[in-house]
Amino acid sequence: MRCRHSGSFTHEEVQALATFLNDYRGRLLIDLRDAAIEECERHIKNFRPMMPTAAIFGAPIDPSVLDIPEMWYAHEVRAFETEDEALAWLREQ
Amino acid sequence: MSATTMDAKAAMDTFVRETGGWIASQLEACTRCGICASACHFYQSTGNPDFAPVWKVELLRRAYEQRFSPIGRILTALGVRKRITDEDLLAWSRVVYEACTVCNKCALVCPMGIQLGPLIHDVRTGLAAAGAVPDDLMAAVNKQVEEGSPLGVTDDVFEERIEWVSDEWDVEIPVDREGADTLVVFSSFEIMKFPENIADIARILNAAGESWTLSTKGREVVNFGFYEGSAEHTTLFIDRVLDGANELGVKRVMVTECGHAYDALRWTAPNLVEMPDGLEITHIVAVLDELVKAGRITLKTGAAEDDGGVTFHDACKIQRRGGHIEEPRRLLKILAPESFREMTPNREAAICCGGGGGVIAIKSADPQRYAAFGLKLDQMRAAEADTVVMACSNCRLQFLDGVQHFGSDVKVRGLSEMVAAALDGTPASDGQSE
Repeated sequence: MRCRHSGSFTHEEVQALATFLNDYRGRLLIDLRDAAIEECERHIKNFRPMMPTAAIFGAPIDPSVLDIPEMWYAHEVRAFETEDEALAWLREQ
Repeated sequence: MSATTMDAKAAMDTFVRETGGWIASQLEACTRCGICASACHFYQSTGNPDFAPVWKVELLRRAYEQRFSPIGRILTALGVRKRITDEDLLAWSRVVYEACTVCNKCALVCPMGIQLGPLIHDVRTGLAAAGAVPDDLMAAVNKQVEEGSPLGVTDDVFEERIEWVSDEWDVEIPVDREGADTLVVFSSFEIMKFPENIADIARILNAAGESWTLSTKGREVVNFGFYEGSAEHTTLFIDRVLDGANELGVKRVMVTECGHAYDALRWTAPNLVEMPDGLEITHIVAVLDELVKAGRITLKTGAAEDDGGVTFHDACKIQRRGGHIEEPRRLLKILAPESFREMTPNREAAICCGGGGGVIAIKSADPQRYAAFGLKLDQMRAAEADTVVMACSNCRLQFLDGVQHFGSDVKVRGLSEMVAAALDGTPASDGQSE
C-alpha cells in the first residue's frame, strides 16, 4: 500500500494511524513528497515499533529516526532516495 | 548459550535445594501415564514427544531420585542411573523454555492432580542457576536488570512515550501522583507497541473518576526474571513495582494487559517478598467489570457489533490461573450481545496462544510457536470469528504475529480498547480509523 500525507496531522489522524498499523498486514511504501518532514519524522519515530515492513522515500529523513533497538520492532523499515529503489527493496521483502 | 558454559552441578544443587515435601509428593504421585501430553499445545501441534509435560520435568525427577531415594543413590553410584550432564541442560533448555509457556493446562487433565506448571518452573530455576537460559531470553532479563525494562524502555523513553500518548490521544495520564488510590503498571509491550492501550485505559479510569497514577519507579509490570525462573531477578523486578507503590502510598496495584506479570505480582510475590500491608493486587479485567457493575462507567450496548463475529481468547495466567473468566464475558455480552461466540475449548480449558512464558522472545522457538498458534487459528475459524479479543498484551503480540504468519484477516483487539471505544459519550480510539 502506498501512503502519502500532506500538511499537519490532527490528533484523530494519529489515533486512526495507530489503529491502521495494528490491523494492516501488508507492506507500506511511504511517500514523503509534499509532507511536513519534521512532523513526519516525529510520527515515524513514535510509530516505528508498530510499523509493518516499509520503504520510505521522497525526502531525506534523519537516520536516527529509524535507528532504534531491535527489540522494539518486528519489521524492517528503511529509507531510500528514490521511489524505484524503495519499490525494488520492498518487492524483495 | 552452549554446553561448555553450563554448570550441571549448579542445576543439580538447585533441584535438590528446591525439592521439599511438596515437590516430592508431586513427583511420587506421577504414574507417567502421559495424559498431560494431550493437553499441551506444543505436543498437540508438533507431535514431538520431547514436548510432553511429563518429559519436561524429567530432570527434576532424576535429581530427586538420585539424591533422595536410597535405590536411586545406589544405582547412580554404580553408574546405572545417568547423572545430569551439560548436554542434558542444553536439551531441556530447548524444551522448557522454547516449547512451554508454563500455561499449566497439563495440570488440568492430570488424573493425579499434579501441578506440572510449577514443577516446570522449578526446572527453569535449576537451568537458570546453571546458565542454561536461551540467549534471547537472557538478553531481555539483563536489559530489565540494567535498564528497568526488557525492551530497553528507560526512564527517558517512558516519559517521552507517556507524554506522546497523553498529547496525541488528548487524555490526562497522571505520573507519580502521591496519595492516589490505584497504581497502574503497564508492560513495556504496551508502552512501545500498543500506545492506544495506554490512552484507552487512561480514558476509562478518568471517566470512572478513579484516583490513579503511573509511577516512574514502578513503571514496568513485565517480569522476565519470572520467565527465566530466577527467584533473585523475579524479586528484583517485583520490588521495583512495590517500591513505586510504597512511595506513592497507593491502596492497590492494577496490572494492565499482561498475564505472567499478574501471576508474578499476585501469587508469586507473597512467597518471595514481604507484601505491604493491605495492598491489593488486581487486574484490569476485574477493574473493568467492577466499574461497569458499580455504574461508574456506562457502555453502549452493541458497540462492537460492527466487528463481525467476536470471540474471546482466555489467557492462561489471567483466566485459568487468575479465575477472571466471567468478567470479560459479561463485558463482551454488552459490547457484542449478538455476535459474541466462544471458541472451543474455552474458559479454564482454553489452550494457550503459544507465545507466553517468554517463548515469543526466543527466536529459535518460532517453529513450535507458530505450530501452536495454528491450533488457535483453527479454533477461531471454527467459531467463525472475525475479531478476537484478549486482555493480555503478550497474547496480543502472538496473535498479531500469528495471524500475519498464516495470512489470516482476523482482527486482534485488546479488551480495554473495546471497552474504551464503547464508553458512553467518550470519543473512541478505534472508532476513527479510515
